[in-house]
Amino acid sequence: MSPPVSPSVRTPLLLALVLALLIGLPPFLDLGLQNALVNVLIAGLFALAFNLLVGQAGLLSFGHAAYFGIGAFATLHLMRAVEDGLAFPTPLLPLAGAAAGLAVGAVAGFFATLRSGVYFALVTLAIAELFHSLAPHWEGLFGGEAGLSSMRMPWGGLIFGSTLEVYYLALGWVTLSVWLLWAYTRTPFGRLTLALRDNEQRVRFLGYDAHATKVIVFAISAMFSGVAGALQAISNETANYSLFSAHVSAGVVLNTFVGGSTVFFGPALGAAAFTLFDHLVSDLTRSWQLYQGLIFVLVMLFAPGGIGGIVQHHLRHRRQLDWSRLAGPYALAGLGGALVAAGMVFMIESLSVLFGEGYAVLRRDAGGGHPPFEAFGAQWDPAGPLTWGLPLALFLAGLFLIARARRDIAALWESVRSAPAGRPAGRGPEASARSAPSGSPS
Amino acid sequence: MSASPPALELVGVAKSFGAIPVVRGVDLQIPAGERHAVIGPNGAGKSTLFNLVSGLFPLSGGDIRLRGRSIAGLPPHRINRSGLARSFQITNIFHRLSVFENLRIGVMARHGLRFGLFRPVARMRQVNEEARAILALVRLEARAEDLAGDLTYSEQRALEIGMTLTTGADVILLDEPTAGMSREETDRAVELIREVTAGKTLLMVEHDMSVVFSLCDRVSVLVYGEILATDTPERISANRAVQEAYLGEEPDESSGRDFGQDSGGEAAP
Repeated sequence: MSPPVSPSVRTPLLLALVLALLIGLPPFLDLGLQNALVNVLIAGLFALAFNLLVGQAGLLSFGHAAYFGIGAFATLHLMRAVEDGLAFPTPLLPLAGAAAGLAVGAVAGFFATLRSGVYFALVTLAIAELFHSLAPHWEGLFGGEAGLSSMRMPWGGLIFGSTLEVYYLALGWVTLSVWLLWAYTRTPFGRLTLALRDNEQRVRFLGYDAHATKVIVFAISAMFSGVAGALQAISNETANYSLFSAHVSAGVVLNTFVGGSTVFFGPALGAAAFTLFDHLVSDLTRSWQLYQGLIFVLVMLFAPGGIGGIVQHHLRHRRQLDWSRLAGPYALAGLGGALVAAGMVFMIESLSVLFGEGYAVLRRDAGGGHPPFEAFGAQWDPAGPLTWGLPLALFLAGLFLIARARRDIAALWESVRSAPAGRPAGRGPEASARSAPSGSPS
Repeated sequence: MSASPPALELVGVAKSFGAIPVVRGVDLQIPAGERHAVIGPNGAGKSTLFNLVSGLFPLSGGDIRLRGRSIAGLPPHRINRSGLARSFQITNIFHRLSVFENLRIGVMARHGLRFGLFRPVARMRQVNEEARAILALVRLEARAEDLAGDLTYSEQRALEIGMTLTTGADVILLDEPTAGMSREETDRAVELIREVTAGKTLLMVEHDMSVVFSLCDRVSVLVYGEILATDTPERISANRAVQEAYLGEEPDESSGRDFGQDSGGEAAP
């Protein structure tokens, strides 16, 4: 697998560019996209905070929604106090989320880290479920089933009424938090965290209290998750118990692994990709979560290093790569991926029409037969050869192209691998052939 | 109280896994500065004894004293901080960290940087210099930046010994440091161990009698969880009871080697 979680060589330049875009672009975007970008920032920070635990300490939590949710509720309580006249600067509201996340994370972490592996994961899951089931009944704390609501109050000449203001508030906090999370990796404790992931027993035999170390890592991860939750509360001005749901916990796992947990910024990439995907696709189809799941499975199967792993792998070998020769096969693989995706989408959408309620009505009206259905602006016969032959043909053609491209790409990477490089070869996040964008739906 | 207490003292140390006694009352005194080997047939309880001394397993009976102070019942990290460090029979390193980083983690522990969160470790000169020094000591400078998991087997064994030294302990336990090594590798490892344990107290499990002869001041023979004899290597090899119990099984000095077959049965509860 990859070397210690740490940014690669070109990172500072890339980061400056990304930050400049994040600062400069949003005023020119429509409201929907601005909102989506706020969600990208929140999901990105949440994923990076989560990855401190899973990627760096090697502790897979299935219940991180708990600390995200706690951060959101703590912030809403503070916002309500501000509404009632407490003098607290609105831009500092996320401090409430950080403090709550840290405190709850320290307690929960103390118990969860008594066990490791599957048992650790199950305890974290149980803790999140505890909140999920208690919250609707604890009206005073969590506002019952309806949840808590509040308003952002103006502060220091800033109204905090527009999405853009919220965006920049979130950007500031996310930038600060990500910088702190990155700085963390370079401290002695950050290095110890990686050692803990590799070999907990040896950590103990070097004189470290492994349990105390894990509790602190857990609490810090929960603290930054709490900041992310706080930003969500500020953005939505409301929160209810569904923030504690397994859906939220699973979401951050998905984002993190699709982005790549072995690369520092990988989880943020995954969060950005999925959040934007949601924004773009959820209006088009009801099956968007199915597509998300498919992408996740494909990434885990063919590029377990995730998006970040692929990017890092290419950056590391950028000088040895003959891009002019790689471009062709990559384009071919991309086309193949698009064809596979098209075939899949056609089939899934057709099936979701055929098994949907609307078609059941149609069938009743047609007296039990199989009337044609509409999809992609055309009429299709459910028993017609074209209806199933077309997507199958697209799918197979795509697979064929990918198989061809994959061979070329593998050969080209093989030459990179055997070439004398600065660092020994074979240390990429995955086998070269796997890093091809094979089959990932576009 | 005339003489100072022994560096390491075992008093009636016993361990049972369930109803099965594995270590049955071991008494042993190792004065400061001595290099001491524990030998014995497979399943004699050597690794279990190490695991008891280093705190991996709790004792079933008896006491263990480090410079006169009991360490029985302490967790491994507390025992380590009291000045006793161990290596492992099965290489136990941080595979995905660089070789240098492996050593630096240990050095950080010596400097009490257990929860250091406010300064990059790269700027801590003392820590980095000490890690470099140990890197040089175990002759791995050329591989400093490579991942520990990419080292050859004998390099990993050297790193394993290096990591044992990092925390500054003066009582060192080495569990079969030369297991699985070729003749030359073994010779180099013996030189290395001699060098790095100078002035320290060493307790080692070793199968290779030539290593024991060239390195150790005294030898204890452990058979069925009991110490049969403790004496100089020369007298031990002349001891009739020892020959029958242990050395007799093996044809001669050169083949007194045993490629780590010892792991069966006694390491895991």
